[in-house]
Amino acid sequence: MRNLVRDLVRKSLKDPVAQKMLLLLIVSVLFLPFLPLLIWSFAQGWYFPQLIPQWTLQNWSTLFTTSTRVGQGFVQSLVIAVCSTGLALLVGMPAGRALGMMDFPGKGAIKLFLLLPIIVSPLATLMGIQFMLIRLGLSGTLLGVVLVHLLPTIPYITLVLSSVYANFDADYEIQARSLGASAWQVFRHITLPLIAPGVVVGALFAFLISWNEFLLTFFVGSGRVFTLPMVLFTALQGGNTGLTAAIAITSILPALVFLFFSSRALDDNAAIGGLGNV
Amino acid sequence: MSKPAYLSLQQLTKSFRDISAVQDVWLDVAAGERLALLGPSGCGKSTTLQLIAGIQQPDAGQIFLEGQPLNQVPPERRGMALVLQKGLLFPHLSVGENVAFGLKMRRVSRKEREQRALTMLDQVQLSGFANRRPSELSGGQAQRVALARSLVIAPKVLLLDEPLSALDANLRGTMQELILRLQEETGVTLIVVTHDQSEAVVISERIALMFDGHLRQVATPEVLYQQPADETVARFFGGVNFFTAQAQGHKLTLPGGDILTTAYPQSGHRSGSRSGPQSDSVQITIRPERIHLLANQICGTNLLPVTIIQNRFTGTQRHLSLKSAAGLNLQAWVPPSLDFPVGQTAFAHLPPDALWSFPQVDFTPSLSRQQQPSAAPPTG
Repeated sequence: MRNLVRDLVRKSLKDPVAQKMLLLLIVSVLFLPFLPLLIWSFAQGWYFPQLIPQWTLQNWSTLFTTSTRVGQGFVQSLVIAVCSTGLALLVGMPAGRALGMMDFPGKGAIKLFLLLPIIVSPLATLMGIQFMLIRLGLSGTLLGVVLVHLLPTIPYITLVLSSVYANFDADYEIQARSLGASAWQVFRHITLPLIAPGVVVGALFAFLISWNEFLLTFFVGSGRVFTLPMVLFTALQGGNTGLTAAIAITSILPALVFLFFSSRALDDNAAIGGLGNV
Repeated sequence: MSKPAYLSLQQLTKSFRDISAVQDVWLDVAAGERLALLGPSGCGKSTTLQLIAGIQQPDAGQIFLEGQPLNQVPPERRGMALVLQKGLLFPHLSVGENVAFGLKMRRVSRKEREQRALTMLDQVQLSGFANRRPSELSGGQAQRVALARSLVIAPKVLLLDEPLSALDANLRGTMQELILRLQEETGVTLIVVTHDQSEAVVISERIALMFDGHLRQVATPEVLYQQPADETVARFFGGVNFFTAQAQGHKLTLPGGDILTTAYPQSGHRSGSRSGPQSDSVQITIRPERIHLLANQICGTNLLPVTIIQNRFTGTQRHLSLKSAAGLNLQAWVPPSLDFPVGQTAFAHLPPDALWSFPQVDFTPSLSRQQQPSAAPPTG
């Protein structure tokens, strides 16, 4: 009986129609929570006896007024996320390479040490950091927030890249070197394309972490740096459910765009056809 | 030495942590020569190759190419091309892009590098493969692309690191032919690292034999087979017959009687006091395939009466174990048509020119310096 079920499942998984159904199921389960959000963002009010709310575009039009500070928050969030992702990559790529490809005493300890910012609550360290940043005059500045966002992003990128580099064969670099590529050319033409999927995944992680960060921004930004999560929080406190839903949807957009492009990049990498770019 | 060495390794030494990989290696390679670096795994031959390629830096010693010191030159500007064991095609590039890689790094125009890559692919009999992905190739094809990729940049020296060890036996023969043909067509200086003595013999004009980081003997395959420097070398090339004999001039005294040799027996450990006729204890050897086996006693010299102990048919030869009347054990490889039954007596003829002797001392570094002249390239 069990075998019968197993065979049936196996057979149906090979069936393209069944595959599509399964995919649809997964997608709908993942996206169902967003449905009320979407409805709310277009609703004037949606209370118990109503099955369908009264439609309105008012929430979305308020979104674009300066009073909600959504535009400002969006831009600041984007700048902070892009900068901290870039900086984290700059640190994380060499660090990941060292951890993934080299053997040295204390490697395990360093890996554990890297996990600390993820394990330890940021609240525990924030006071100290804030004190330092105030002394450096970075409290309440964009740069200060970017720096403090490196706290959770660097470990993620480093750990992702260390496992990528652990699977990377350094002989490719030796081979390229002996064929006449300089150290930079080797990185540009061989190493980077080969680790690109890992870099994209790591960068995606870092970007999303930075994009969604509330606590660190709230403390270090001292209210002067106003990112989208803070806009969202303010709206939530204001009690305007429709507006909150619209802001929430807005805050998902960059992640979706990033995901879309990175998945394309991953696909492209697997299928560059032709003599192409010899 | 009539022409200056093209590539010259001088006193090359390299160790990793406390383990010495390459020690005091002196080697001259002539332009256009095919040289094999041969030795058991872990003998330092691959490290030597990496030192030449510039992937490793020597602890001591110098490398010269065309008289220019290479030590400070980064690998990409040494004009050497390295082919690694795995072929190692860049998986994100097409076959054509792989072959053109070196040219692209040299900023050759796209049109020219495409054309040169296609021509090179023709030469390794892979025309029409330019658009394939490396993952679509078989092991032999990948290795051929790797060769093409290295040769397209017209390297001064082509370095092959165990290029055939990942291939099966049939493919290996074809690849050997291809390597030899390409070397002939391009005239490139070739250094092959291998642990397989038969491969080294086929591919190279000269073999540099390495043991434990030391260069033990550098000579033509013929010399290594017929005139090995010591017992280890002889054993590495399949030598199985070793006897202790008393040497006096060309006369060797074995337990079974006197035999003659055309090679003057080396008297190693007492070389200082070679005054007048005296008898020295030497180690003598003869290749198993050089022993003739006769049913009757025809000629008089160098004949040993033997009994057949064992008779193994290997397809192309018979491997016979013999025991002489005086108790010497011999191995003889004879044509398969010579079928002596076990237990029969026969006469083993040891041709005087096939007997070789070396002193009964183990290898010491001082001996390596004695053999330094043999590390020079063949004159001519």
